[in-house]
Amino acid sequence: MRLPLPAFMRTTTFRLAVVHAVMFLIFTFGLLIYLFYSTAGYMRSQSVRELDGEVQALAAAFNSGGMDRLNQTVVERSSVRGPFFYVLQDADGQTISGDFAAIPDELPESGSVETNFAYQSMNRNGELETRSANGIIIRLPNKASLMVAYDLSTRTQIVNRITRAVWTALPIGLAMSLIGGLIISRSAARRAEQLTRTTDGIISGDLSRRAPVVGSGDEFDRLSERLNAMLDRLEHLMMTTRHAGDAIAHDLRSPLTRLRNRLEADLRDGEKVDRTASIERTIDEVDAVLATFNSILSLSKIQAGSSARFQTIDVSELMDELAELYEPASEDAGLSFASEIEPGLTIEGDKSLIAQAMTNLLDNAIKYTPTGGALTLRTRITRKDEIELSVTDTGAGIPSEDRERVVRRFVRLEASRTQPGNGLGLAMVDAIAKLHQGVFELSDGPGTPPNTGLRAALILPKHV
Amino acid sequence: MNLLVIEDDPEMAEFVQRVLSEAGHTVEAVHDGETGLTMARSMPVDMLIVDRMLPRKNGLDLVREFRESGGSAPALFLSALGDVDHRVEGLQAGGDDYLTKPFAPSELVARVEALGRRGGNETPITTLKVGDLEMNLLARSVFRGEEKIDLQPREFRLLEFLMRNAGQVVTRTMLLEKVWDYHFDPQTNVIDVHISRLRGKIDKDFDRPLLHTVRGAGYRLQA
Repeated sequence: MRLPLPAFMRTTTFRLAVVHAVMFLIFTFGLLIYLFYSTAGYMRSQSVRELDGEVQALAAAFNSGGMDRLNQTVVERSSVRGPFFYVLQDADGQTISGDFAAIPDELPESGSVETNFAYQSMNRNGELETRSANGIIIRLPNKASLMVAYDLSTRTQIVNRITRAVWTALPIGLAMSLIGGLIISRSAARRAEQLTRTTDGIISGDLSRRAPVVGSGDEFDRLSERLNAMLDRLEHLMMTTRHAGDAIAHDLRSPLTRLRNRLEADLRDGEKVDRTASIERTIDEVDAVLATFNSILSLSKIQAGSSARFQTIDVSELMDELAELYEPASEDAGLSFASEIEPGLTIEGDKSLIAQAMTNLLDNAIKYTPTGGALTLRTRITRKDEIELSVTDTGAGIPSEDRERVVRRFVRLEASRTQPGNGLGLAMVDAIAKLHQGVFELSDGPGTPPNTGLRAALILPKHV
Repeated sequence: MNLLVIEDDPEMAEFVQRVLSEAGHTVEAVHDGETGLTMARSMPVDMLIVDRMLPRKNGLDLVREFRESGGSAPALFLSALGDVDHRVEGLQAGGDDYLTKPFAPSELVARVEALGRRGGNETPITTLKVGDLEMNLLARSVFRGEEKIDLQPREFRLLEFLMRNAGQVVTRTMLLEKVWDYHFDPQTNVIDVHISRLRGKIDKDFDRPLLHTVRGAGYRLQA
C-alpha cells in the first residue's frame, strides 16, 4: 500500500524542487570530475615541463664540463629544497651524488626511460610515510646514469583538497535546494489550501466568501482576483434572480389577491352582477398581471446581462426612427416635438434594448407632460466624449430627492399613481444603461417650477 | 386553410383550435413533437402552429427537421419566451413568425391569416390594389382613383403592409413588428396616431373609407 504523502509533497513545486536537487547533484558530479581531470592534467604537464627544464640544464652542464661539472650541478641542486630529486651514478653503478643512495629502478641500456617509484620520507610530524615520485633516468654517453624525478604528493594533495571541498559543498547545496523547494512548495500548498477552503465555503452555500489576495501580484493573487471577480458576477446574478423572485412574490400577490376578492364578491352577488363586464374586467386585470410578470422577467434578464446581443449600432439612425415613430403621438398629445440628433454616432450595444429604453422614456414624457408642453429627443457627443441619448420634457419633473428612488423596481411616485404603469419602466432603463456600461441620469429640464421639466439621459461610452 | 397545431398543453391546444376553427380553418391538434413532425410530413398541411417547448422533440428541432425534409408550409411559433434572442432562434430554425403567450385570439387569427396569405404569394408583384386605392411598388407611388397621394417612406411601408393583408385584421403589435421592427409594446398609442395620419391621407376626402378600426383587435384595410 502506498503511504499517503503530506499535502506539500504532492505539490508541483515540491516535485520541481526534487527534480532541481537531482539536477544539482548531477551537475556537481560533472563539475568534480571535470575539475579533477583538468587540474591533475594541468599539473602533470606543468611538472613534465619543469622536469624537461632540469634535464636540459643538467645536460648543458655535462656537455660543457663533463662528469665533474655535472656532479657539481647535481650536488648544488639536490642541496636546495625543491620538488626535484637527483641521483648520479658512474658507469660502474656507484652513486656519486644525489638525494637517494641508489637509482630505485632499472637502468636503460642507452637513451632515457621514464620511471615511477615509491620512497620513504619523514613527514612534518616525524613519521615515515610512503610517497610516490615520477621521473626520468638517462644513460649518459660515458655510460654513467642520471635520474631526475619529482615528488607526486603535492599534486595529489591539491587534487585531494579540491575533491574534499566539492564533497563538502555537495551535501550543503543539496540540502539547501531541498529545503528551498520545501519552503516554496509549502507556501504554494498553503495558498492552494486557502483557495480550497474558500471554494469549500462557497460550495456549502456561503457565497460571500472570497479568495485571499495578499498583494504580491503573483499567479496565486491573479488567480484569486479572477476567481473573486467570477464570484462577484455569480453573486450579482444570484441576487438579481432572488430579487426577481421577491418582486414576483411581493408585487404580483397584491393584484392577484385583489382580483380574487373581486371575483369572489361577484360570485356572491350572483345575478346582480353583469357577468360579461366582470369577465372583461378580469381579462384586463390578468393581462396587466401578465404584463408586469413579463416586465419583471425581462428586467431580470437585462440585469443578468445574459441574453443581450451586442453589435455596432448606428444610434443616430435608431433615434431618427424613434423620433419618426413618436412625433405624431407626441403632437397628438398636444406637445411640440423636436429632435436634435447628431448624425453618424455609433455605439456597441443591443439595438432592441436601447430602443426599449428610449421608448420607455418617450412614453413617460408623453404621459407626464401636460398639453402645450414640449418634448426634445437629443443625441449628441458630450464633452467627455460619451454619447448622450436623452429625452427632455416640460412636465412636473422628478424632485431631486426622489431621483435615486424612482429607478428602483416598483417605485412609483404619488403623482403618477393615477397613470397606468407598473413601476418598472425606469428600473429597466437604468438596467439597460448599466448593461452598456453607461449611466442613467435624471436632471431638471428647461422649464421653471412648477413645471421644471425632466431631462432623462442615457450616457453611454462610445465603445464598450 | 388546413392547420396543424402542435401544443402539449391541452387547454392551450383547445383554445387555439377553437379560435382558428371559428375563423373558418380546419384545425388538427397533436400534443408532442414526434407525432407533430410525423403528421406535418404525412398530411397536406398549409401551416404549422408550433409550441417551442414540447415533449419528445422541441419546437425548434421539429421545424428545423421539417424544413430539412423539404417541408415548405409556413410555421408560426407560440412561446412563453418572448425575448428577441428567442425570436431570432425561432426564425433561424425556419419559423416564419413568432407569437408570445399569452395572446389575444384576434392576434392569433390575424397572424395566421397574414402568414397564410404570404405563403401562397411567392411571385413578386409590382402593384397592389384595394378598391380604388392603387400602389405601384416600383414607382413607389400611390393613387386613390385619379388623385395622387403623397406619403412619407414609413407611411408607404405601413400602407403597403396593410394592402398586402387587405381584408384581414392586422394588430398593433404586428404593425410595430413588421413596419417598425420593434418587438415590444409601447405604452402610448404611437401606432394609432400613425394610422390616423395615414387615414387622413387616404380616406379623408373620399366618400368610402378603406381603413377600418376593428375594436379590441386592430385595423383592417378593405374596400
